[in-house]
Amino acid sequence: MREVIKLGLILLLITSVAAVVLGITNDATSVIIEQREQEEKAQALKVLIPNADEFIQIEETLFADRQDIVEAYEGLKDGVVVGYAVKVNPSGYGGDVNIIVGFTNEGITTGIIIGTHTETPGLGSKIEDEVFVNQFTDRMTDNALVSVKRSVEQDNEVQAISGATVSSDAVINGVNAAISFLREVIMNHSSGCSCCG
Amino acid sequence: MFEKLTVSSTPHILSKNTTSKIMTHVVIALLPATLGALYFFRLEAAVIIFLSIATAVLSEWGIQKIRKQPITINDMSAVVTGLLLGLNLSASVPWWIPVIGSAFAVIVVKQIFGGIGQNFMNPALAARIMLTISWTGRMTNWISPGADAVSTATPLSYVKGFNVIPENAPRIFDMFIGNIGGSLGETSALLLIIGGLYLVFKGIISYKVPLAFIGTVAAITLIYGGFDFSFMSYHVFSGGLMIGAIFMATDYSSTPITMKGRIIFALGCGIITSFIRLYGAFPEGVGFSILLMNMSAPLIEKYTRPRVFGGGKQNA
Amino acid sequence: MKLKELVYKGIVTENPVFIQLLGMCPVLAVTNTAENALGMGAATAAVLIGSNFVISLLRKFIPSKIRIPAFVVVIATFVTIVGMVMKAYLPALDAALGLFIPLIVVNCLILARAEAFASKNSVLKSVVDGVGMGLGFTIALVVLGAVRELLGAGTIFGATMTWSSFEPAGVMGLPPGAFLALGMLLALYNKIASMKLKKQ
Repeated sequence: MREVIKLGLILLLITSVAAVVLGITNDATSVIIEQREQEEKAQALKVLIPNADEFIQIEETLFADRQDIVEAYEGLKDGVVVGYAVKVNPSGYGGDVNIIVGFTNEGITTGIIIGTHTETPGLGSKIEDEVFVNQFTDRMTDNALVSVKRSVEQDNEVQAISGATVSSDAVINGVNAAISFLREVIMNHSSGCSCCG
Repeated sequence: MFEKLTVSSTPHILSKNTTSKIMTHVVIALLPATLGALYFFRLEAAVIIFLSIATAVLSEWGIQKIRKQPITINDMSAVVTGLLLGLNLSASVPWWIPVIGSAFAVIVVKQIFGGIGQNFMNPALAARIMLTISWTGRMTNWISPGADAVSTATPLSYVKGFNVIPENAPRIFDMFIGNIGGSLGETSALLLIIGGLYLVFKGIISYKVPLAFIGTVAAITLIYGGFDFSFMSYHVFSGGLMIGAIFMATDYSSTPITMKGRIIFALGCGIITSFIRLYGAFPEGVGFSILLMNMSAPLIEKYTRPRVFGGGKQNA
Repeated sequence: MKLKELVYKGIVTENPVFIQLLGMCPVLAVTNTAENALGMGAATAAVLIGSNFVISLLRKFIPSKIRIPAFVVVIATFVTIVGMVMKAYLPALDAALGLFIPLIVVNCLILARAEAFASKNSVLKSVVDGVGMGLGFTIALVVLGAVRELLGAGTIFGATMTWSSFEPAGVMGLPPGAFLALGMLLALYNKIASMKLKKQ
């Protein structure tokens, strides 16, 4: 019985020291991690809504019932909405793909930023390539985007990466989720309530 | 010839002569499909098939020379592997695809695991899958038969996601004789069936395995399509089902020993193929299904082993 | 045993990957590029050196009955610290390695060295053993990662290494490519080792 208590106390001592060490490390690193994440986000928003000088997070309740949408922002310049950014995380071939989609206040895409993802290197990771990403710039969003394997013929078509259809479709699905959220909720919301400006 | 008489895990202990005889019969059975490929895809087909066979034989000779083992290229098995791989390729592939594929099939899949009779996977099929996931664009760039080789889709990509045949899809009769886009040897169901009948007639393979495989796919697609017979025949005659069921699911070394085991093997192939085609991300699932069942062959053997030692009668 | 020999043993004669085949999970999973492999190797080496140091320091204090939970606590602490530091200062690498950083806890190489070496040897020797084994692990991972990245994407550490018409084999970046490349490297390592033995 005494031995059990002794062993327990030794383990307790080791775990306590470990806890203290971890607490100190966490204190030191968590600030940096958060700061860096904020900076990255601000930078991404600045790229997607270049003429805005202030960003306001859109309430989560507006997209709580929608799939794949993580965060949404309004970009303001002198208090007037000039654009939107929607962060989505559709599932790709190897897990979630984090994407931020930018829109003008008229609902035209300004571009996308592919964030962290775990798609296959050399294949699915080609969703980061400029050729693919640039397809999402200056798109009218009246219709949902459609993935095609041949070259693009219609306005709403996006050419998928050969050999990486699943990853390409993930990006397209994510952008479509952002588009429908923007069209159906945000733009309806602000037009119905002009006081928001 | 005595070194070939060592006891191996399968009971198909064959002397060198018999192996080469069987393999020659398989080559003969593949001849109609090969000639069909030459007719439909012309010079490209000839170059691909030649490169694929030549590399397979050379690789076998080379690796056995390096490992100081008896050279077994005379048993024709490398020729069969090369020919099967060649027939599994699109006519548009560049020259290095059959070369890399054949070398991979013979060196990695066959010889590293101990050579003929020891490989746990079908070498040609494993090579095709390896090539497909490595150079997806190259391997799925199908072209239509004839001199004016234009890029086209395989029949299966037309029906992907449907339970009826879309109007613009190729006609079933064209699929039956092979006048469609696809890999060299898998387009013509008719020519493959002729080869299959030859093998059954010569007693090389049993009709039960291809029948069970194709029958399972037919049954599942029939139910899925709401008892639409043309939808079912579309699935039966398209893609790699014929060549897979007749020439690959009947491979001696990578399938179970007993007839009961082989039927289970064929049923499994049929189920997996249908589910990949109907619900999976890829239009075709024959290759994956056979490889998956190849890997479950030891397990099937474990559960279908005849009870009485040496008694094979109950399975006859 | 001299300290120099300890390092040589970790890198060559008892290489954790090529000889002991320990910690195969990260070896196969995160070696799709040389950079990921280097990051994983360095993180593992840091944890190994740290845990060897602390465990050899405490080797007389920890009763043998509870040594395994004690070792695991020490290892887990170091892994968590490495994870936090990576997230703060090397975010890109952290994103690429993801789940495999916390999984260093269950890398059998680290527990094996704690049990087989650090709990029986002096602090200095244990740290040197950690350096040797960590280096051996890192070198093996980087070699494997470089081979896979070269064949699978045509680059090494992101720099293009191949002629323009070279079409990389996508399979090498995928899980089967890890097994193929590791098998070939093991064969090569054994071939060289057996040739050396013959000479002696």
